[in-house]
Amino acid sequence: MSETHSQNESDVSSGGVLANDTFVRRLGELLSVTLGLAVASFLGWIMFTQVDYSLLQSVFPRFVEAFKLVLTIVVISSILSVSLGTLMGLARTSSSPVTSRISKVYVEFFRGTPLLFQLFVIYFGIPRLWAVGQFPLGSWEIAIAGFSYAGDWRLPAAIIGLTLNHIAYVAEAIRGGIAAVDDGQLEAARSLGMSNVQAMRRVVLPQAWRNALPAIGNDQIILVKDTSLLTVIALQEIMSVFRNINSNQLDPWTPLVWVCLFYLLVTMSMSLLISILERRADWSSEQEESESHLKRLVGSIGEGLGRRQ
Amino acid sequence: MSNESIVEFENVNKYFGQTHVLKDVSMEVKEQEVTVIIGPSGSGKSTLLRCTNRLEEIQSGEIRLDSEAISAPDADVDRLRQRIGMVFQSFNLFPHMTAKENIMLGPTEVKGIPEDEARERAESLIDEVGLGDQGDSYPEELSGGQQQRVAIARALAMDPEVMLFDEVTSALDPELVGEVLDVMKDLATGGMTMLVVTHEMGFAREVGDTITLMSDGKIAERRPAAEFFEQPQTERGQEFLSRLL
Repeated sequence: MSETHSQNESDVSSGGVLANDTFVRRLGELLSVTLGLAVASFLGWIMFTQVDYSLLQSVFPRFVEAFKLVLTIVVISSILSVSLGTLMGLARTSSSPVTSRISKVYVEFFRGTPLLFQLFVIYFGIPRLWAVGQFPLGSWEIAIAGFSYAGDWRLPAAIIGLTLNHIAYVAEAIRGGIAAVDDGQLEAARSLGMSNVQAMRRVVLPQAWRNALPAIGNDQIILVKDTSLLTVIALQEIMSVFRNINSNQLDPWTPLVWVCLFYLLVTMSMSLLISILERRADWSSEQEESESHLKRLVGSIGEGLGRRQ
Repeated sequence: MSNESIVEFENVNKYFGQTHVLKDVSMEVKEQEVTVIIGPSGSGKSTLLRCTNRLEEIQSGEIRLDSEAISAPDADVDRLRQRIGMVFQSFNLFPHMTAKENIMLGPTEVKGIPEDEARERAESLIDEVGLGDQGDSYPEELSGGQQQRVAIARALAMDPEVMLFDEVTSALDPELVGEVLDVMKDLATGGMTMLVVTHEMGFAREVGDTITLMSDGKIAERRPAAEFFEQPQTERGQEFLSRLL
């Protein structure tokens, strides 16, 4: 026994300093602090020397307009792509070879070609199926709840393009989520006399949804960033506003500050929403006792900070 | 045990690809009978059980519940399954529902029983299987033995005429086996028709009315439990028992 012990000790020393956990830990801390300081001082330097604060203020309203547009596109495309993507994911797992193959082809096509290409097909290609000037959605007007909206083909094309593209990714996430549900779950549900549809709806899908949530969340954050591509179809979203200001003022850094902040605002809200959904899908009695999910989240951040000391 | 047979297997043949797993199996289970199916692994015990509620398809022969063929191509399987409860080796509780919700799902979703009524019934079933204060727990918060008892209650909530038990204690820690067997014993005493695949010979001897010994996809011997354990008539039976002792 004592022999083995001393044997172990000599192993550690012969492994050199790298075998020492504390050393590796300190090295890691040193590297991350160095990196953090480097990035922070670079940003600080930019903020002090490159950013024109009066311009920053004066361009703010233009970014707010673009931000509202992006938000509209994101909300609509998100809701559509998650709900239709769930259906597409179900179609992927269908026992009918016709349904499952057609949905596989769909996924392969929309995952396999660039979003930019898909946007071009929809924005430039589709209207040319009509005679010039005859395309019915070339200009449109709708009234919802007393407000009327009008526009041209750019906004619908953007929403359709993002939705069709992200349906493919959500479908894959759902398919994986369903595959990860144990076969015994379906068997147990069916042996109670539930039909296949009942068993899917009440037993398999709720579990598949939880399995798929992280992947869907990831995809929806990518969807937010994909709106930056809409600048190529002349939609006045955040990147287009940047390009206008930069080419007029020859000052890239000032508008870039807003670009960065606006994207982070959307993506970080999205992350928050996803972690709340993930928490809700964590099945145990504890979560029902907690007053609010936000409070729990704040609590866990506090815990994380406390642990550092 | 009455003289009316409730589950009938007639010349049942089942293949997995090229493998012939059930060979011309015929057997009648009487109302209120507890049939314990034993035999070495790979002998087709579980497959026979899973064919009974058509979780597996058979290739020829017929399986009848109360003279209705569940194996028929046009059988209303969903309706017949409501009359056959099944309990699995791996519990298969629905993890996103509490114990009570697990038990209520079948009655509310399949039979359309009102929520309140189903909840009341679930609560009394939870008491019956000895889990009085665990109704609001989620499966992951329960021990294996507790989960399996919830699974039994879930099957009972559909008021089945027959219960199938597929090696229900095999995944349990030894000290938890007893509590599950006790629930099954109560059920048997209460007159439930049961088909039980198990390795628990003590249970088979004490609770079983009939022992079915399966070997290589065939029924090697099927006799009243007392007689079987006293003196098996077939060589396979003697061999199987001697290996247990």
